[in-house]
Amino acid sequence: MERPSTAEITRRALLRALGALGLSGLLAPGLAAPRPASAQGNLANLGPEEPVDATMKRLFDGRPIKDGAASIKLDLPLIAENGAVVPVSVEVTAPMTPQNHVKAIYIISDKNRRPLNAKFNLTPAMGQAYVGTNLRLGESTDVRAVVEMSDGTLLQAKREVKVTVGGCGG
Amino acid sequence: MAEIGRVRIRVPSSIKPGDVVKVRVLVIHPMEIVQRKDGKAVDKNYHFINRVIVTYLDKEVAQFETSQSVSENPFFTFSFKATEPGVLRITFLDTHGGKYEGTADVKFS
Repeated sequence: MERPSTAEITRRALLRALGALGLSGLLAPGLAAPRPASAQGNLANLGPEEPVDATMKRLFDGRPIKDGAASIKLDLPLIAENGAVVPVSVEVTAPMTPQNHVKAIYIISDKNRRPLNAKFNLTPAMGQAYVGTNLRLGESTDVRAVVEMSDGTLLQAKREVKVTVGGCGG
Repeated sequence: MAEIGRVRIRVPSSIKPGDVVKVRVLVIHPMEIVQRKDGKAVDKNYHFINRVIVTYLDKEVAQFETSQSVSENPFFTFSFKATEPGVLRITFLDTHGGKYEGTADVKFS
């Protein structure tokens, strides 16, 4: 896999890299483990260092993102004393049928140096679109959850979190 | 660090067939953060979990792609639809080729 430097990374190269990872994970989870470290561990692994606008453009390519505040329940603390562990959970009130379901949930922190925190790929077998995890936040920031439906619609919910002590080290 | 890769899964104890249940899972892992020198990130093979695969009855239910901006000792919650008794298996893959697995039996009461 090619490793373009973070500065000149193109959307195409990144999508190709992500696609290769996704495929190997789907077809042979066992085989994905011994992949050479160089293919996985470089700085462009999930998100390169970039402003949040670049992340949004790279992920969604300017597709319209609708306000999903009505259907997305984004649960975050108002004030996070420790930026290293910020609990977040996202629940989407949408049916999870094979025809119409939530395909992916992206969690993006606007001011993190790598804004994309995590991407959750879901299937109808989950019964309900609900995921949660703990985030690292570098400073007070907006956190957004972008939900991609199986028909390609994008919905977004956003919340601000005040972070007392940043959790990203340097 | 000796405990690295230990996986704990919590599934509710009373489940009825067809229920959508919430599962909590925790894995012990350092999730190494980016080191900086003179304000620039050091390019090296950081040690963190970048993929989580959830399977139930040997079928993939969900797959998470994670980055360093997920906390140390990552914790995840998600839901799944319990249709029949079987094994819920969660696999974590990290950037150093590590593979950690945890399983939970789904039983109906």
